[in-house]
Amino acid sequence: MSRTRLRLSRLAPLLALLATACALVPTSAPAPLHLGDLANDGDPTRRASQRLVLDGLRADAQNESERARGLYQRALQVDSGNPYAYLALARQSAAQDEPELALEYVARAEDLLATEVNRSPGADAHLDGLRGIALTQTGETVEGEALLERAAQNAPDVWGDGRLDAEELR
Amino acid sequence: MARRGRKPAWLRLAAGAVIAVAFTIGFAAAGLIAGLDHTVRSRFEGVRFRVPSRVYGAPTILYPGLDWRRIDLPGALARLGYRAADTAIALPPGQYVWSGQRARIHLRAFSHPSRPEPARDVVLRLDGDLVSAIRAVPSGEELGAVLLEPEPLGAYYGPAHEQRELVRLAEVPPHLVDAVLAVEDQRFATHSGIDFRRIAGAMLANLRAGEIRQGGSTLTQQLVKNFFLTPERTLQRKLQEAAMALIVEARYDKDEILESYLNEIYLGQRGATAIHGVGEGAHLYFGKPASELGVAESALLAAIIQSPNGISPYRDPKRATQRRNLVLDLMLEQGRLEPDAHARAREESLHLATVTPDANDARYFLDLLRRQLAETYPTEVLTQEGLRIYSTLDPRLQRIAAESLRQGLESLEKRRPALARQGDAALQGCIVAIRPQTGELLALVGGRDYRHSQFDRCTQARRQVGSVFKPFVFVAALEPWRGPPVITLASRLDDTPFEVKTPSGPWRPANHDRQFHGEVGVRDALEQSYNVATARLAERVGIGRVADVARRLGVESSMPKVPSLALGTAEIAPIELARAYATLASGGVRPTTQTVEDVVDGEGSVMEKRRLRFERVIDAGTAFLATSLLEGVADRGTARSLRAGGLRGPIAAKTGTTDEERDLWFVGYTPDLVAVVWVGFDTPRGLGIPSSVGALPIWRSFIEGATGGVVRGAFPKPPVIEEAAVEPGTGALALNGCPERREEYFLAGTLPTAVCPDGGGEADSGGLLHWLRGRL
Repeated sequence: MSRTRLRLSRLAPLLALLATACALVPTSAPAPLHLGDLANDGDPTRRASQRLVLDGLRADAQNESERARGLYQRALQVDSGNPYAYLALARQSAAQDEPELALEYVARAEDLLATEVNRSPGADAHLDGLRGIALTQTGETVEGEALLERAAQNAPDVWGDGRLDAEELR
Repeated sequence: MARRGRKPAWLRLAAGAVIAVAFTIGFAAAGLIAGLDHTVRSRFEGVRFRVPSRVYGAPTILYPGLDWRRIDLPGALARLGYRAADTAIALPPGQYVWSGQRARIHLRAFSHPSRPEPARDVVLRLDGDLVSAIRAVPSGEELGAVLLEPEPLGAYYGPAHEQRELVRLAEVPPHLVDAVLAVEDQRFATHSGIDFRRIAGAMLANLRAGEIRQGGSTLTQQLVKNFFLTPERTLQRKLQEAAMALIVEARYDKDEILESYLNEIYLGQRGATAIHGVGEGAHLYFGKPASELGVAESALLAAIIQSPNGISPYRDPKRATQRRNLVLDLMLEQGRLEPDAHARAREESLHLATVTPDANDARYFLDLLRRQLAETYPTEVLTQEGLRIYSTLDPRLQRIAAESLRQGLESLEKRRPALARQGDAALQGCIVAIRPQTGELLALVGGRDYRHSQFDRCTQARRQVGSVFKPFVFVAALEPWRGPPVITLASRLDDTPFEVKTPSGPWRPANHDRQFHGEVGVRDALEQSYNVATARLAERVGIGRVADVARRLGVESSMPKVPSLALGTAEIAPIELARAYATLASGGVRPTTQTVEDVVDGEGSVMEKRRLRFERVIDAGTAFLATSLLEGVADRGTARSLRAGGLRGPIAAKTGTTDEERDLWFVGYTPDLVAVVWVGFDTPRGLGIPSSVGALPIWRSFIEGATGGVVRGAFPKPPVIEEAAVEPGTGALALNGCPERREEYFLAGTLPTAVCPDGGGEADSGGLLHWLRGRL
């Protein structure tokens, strides 16, 4: 009996730790993706590509959209399978009211994200939101608004205002 | 009585005549001057210089983890005119110091209206062949990636075949201006277009010599002569030149005249191309922009003006050095150079750039681009308005492609003398490479030697494609279409005698080995390129659907919907095959082929920018299955000799040899690169070798050069793909107890329903799970 009690007391800290961990496990949608969080992920090629995407987002945030586009293309030159470069291009195209392009880039990003080994779940809200903006721009407002609403529910901090700024993606 | 003071009639007549003549001459002179003035103004105020448009390649990107030896960084620096310096102290742009594990490079600025790059002094830490870190100097900031400016690929010349790079006077170093003025026109700042002291001095010198040795022309006169007049030495032309020089000086300020002169002056030849202006001259002789010229280099450039071909430092370095030193002495005498700078410059040896004729490696690409650009830009604009065309071509891959093709064809001819040139009919070939994810054209060599034939066999020729068409049949059969797909990778195909009735009689396909193989696996059928099994499969799928798949993937040529289409009887251009295979490589998304990123006009504004475009045409799962099949061709099938040289990593490929071995094809891709090789004669005749001997080695050489022999990455597996073990002989799902098993890929929901061993057996957990999934 006493031996059992002793064992339980020894396990108490472990159980407490487990309970804390369970409490910390998110039950809602994952946090929205910030590409800066991925800057050091992947092989050197991906990291270099990612740095170029981040530089591009910085340029986009400073309204240097052409420079930004050039940097996104350079990012693809280094790693043509980098989904985040397409995501950044999609964001820029949506912001520039080029919905057809935005939809192509979102689809490309989505395809490539689907095959990523370390896929960031926080990208889904961006895919929904960007597709929502583009569809709304093409007049498909019902579908577009539904996607924007879903993006806002999953990432209210970013998509609450129905848009994705370059800094928010960065 | 005669009237007093009245002049005789003859005198009055004579006076009248004189006045009339004077008026006539005056009017004529005024008319002449007005005409000359009009000529001067129309040139100075119109398009002053005809500047050919230049085409640039994609920039080289340096980043930590990059293999600097593979991208030939020292070669790239040399081609861009970067010079090795002795010391890194105050290293100017365009120079570098390479010491062991450290390369300090002062990158030049890249001028572009929307994506400029500043000059950057950086240190590359090197760890063996890899760049381990890049830091800015002096801040020490770690940099993720830096760009080398794009390499020039060529230019579109007008009929005069002149090349020049326009420079603004403010960009020209003062010592270059001083050197030119010291030797060509020391009183330029004060004269009015004609320097009478200089003329007198020249006349005296010529009289003494008994021949014309010196000219007395000012810069303005030289400019006028080059702009408007012929080089003949007649009095009339000299008078015209003098009059126009006075007009130019009266109308335009000195800086404008000087800038025009510096851009107009003839400075030598690069092959058939005449080099004009100090901007282009600096590139020709020193491999750098005029703004980076030092004192000694400036003096040499000024020294050459008198007789660019006679005083060429390449032909006669001694004479060129002597005249350079004369220029330096004149600069000292005229107070344009300090004594210590003069002494240092005189001590300098000639540091000349390696003379390279116009690189002809990219000429087929330049022609393709010209044909495409002609849809938007008239010829005069392309040849005269100095556009900067930023292309997608990768100069490194282009060189590797050109070299691979050249060596491959030469090696074939050496081993098989029957293939060597017979009259004009040389063995030909072409190679084209595309980045599949973006559609950017990276390399294009349209023939063996552009000088002998400008016909581009990769974009302008359509040839029978043979077995490289077969994957389209398999894609059509693997793709779910109004129901489940016709086959899976575990299916069995029929390779037994087969006949189709056609309007031109029965068609009986045969295999290359003249045998039938009975029931064969899908992988075997493509890996061994069995004609009969493929033709039978095409019949099951429908030849119309096969053509539709090829069309969706990117084939544009007409495809007769006949049974033999399955075996590649259609005539298709290599670039179309590159696009179609690129679609498979990018997971079923067809990219628009890109050759240009943007076009900038002579004033520095972006005229056109082109965007990457995509369209999904095949589902990702089917594209992955097709890629997996083609990986088998490279690993075990007709292309297995690819691996013989040690080439490693993911490669999907297909060989193709047409009837009588008239056309040899090899198409293959890695996750980042698609390349197509064609080998044959322009007038089709048999080569007597299969593509694995004729075309494959060229492709292998190209990919080995491009990747260093190790292909990175992997073909991404989409979530819709499931893996399960099958029994190879039957295609049944292999459970525990099945004697033979092989892992295979399936689209979700298409697992085999038959199991091995027949009737069940002890299921392993994975196999059972798949088995159940297949039934749910």
